[in-house]
Amino acid sequence: MTYLILAYAFGVAALGGYLFWSLRRLRELERIQGGRS
Amino acid sequence: MLIAGAAIFFYAPTDYLQGPVQRIFYLHVSSAIAAFGCFAVVLVGGVIYLRNESPAADRFARSGALVGVVFTTVTLVMGMLWAKTVWGAFWVWDARLTSTLVLWIIYAGYLLVRRLADPGRQAARFAAVVGIFGFIDVPVVHFSVTWWTTQHPGPVIINDALPPQMLATFLFTMACTVVLAAVMIAIRYRIETLVDEREQVFEPAKVLVAREPEPVQ
Repeated sequence: MTYLILAYAFGVAALGGYLFWSLRRLRELERIQGGRS
Repeated sequence: MLIAGAAIFFYAPTDYLQGPVQRIFYLHVSSAIAAFGCFAVVLVGGVIYLRNESPAADRFARSGALVGVVFTTVTLVMGMLWAKTVWGAFWVWDARLTSTLVLWIIYAGYLLVRRLADPGRQAARFAAVVGIFGFIDVPVVHFSVTWWTTQHPGPVIINDALPPQMLATFLFTMACTVVLAAVMIAIRYRIETLVDEREQVFEPAKVLVAREPEPVQ
């Protein structure tokens, strides 16, 4: 049971973390782009 | 994905032999399939780039590689945690596990090449070749359990070995994971476009024209 919870905790952290990081990076770049134009 | 999670933990029945840890299978296999799809994007992007040097194709390839590595990492780690319970060891050097690790190394190398090389046409061309040849490992991973004797379980979906509730849960999780991978690639593609625009990676090379030296008075 511990390994099942660990496995899904890792899966959610990796996929969710990557998605969150991507959205943050995208927002940051769009803000920079918006500031330049 | 939340509905898929609910189906995995509350709808799918517990496996009689493996117990609750069998539920790792749903996201483990779905992530592997999503990773294969991402690497197919790298392959197609690479081929299109080599044909017409389209920056968009190169951006798709870069996006596919990064998202594919994330999904392969999830596949490997979840598989290791399942193996510890069922086999008693996190890792065995059987054909499926080794070829998947090789796949991860190939595309992590691809990303490393992109990061270390000066951005531009030459790096894109070299990476396209790596991405195309790297895809050879995808069918090796897929067929490794039939080509060689492995400790890793053989195919259960095409052998019709899953009860209907497990199959429905798996198919739903797989569909959600593939859509998530497509969304991640689309977001990454937008990021790559903005970065390329900022750094003007694919601008035509500037031609330097030598000027006549001004006469010394």
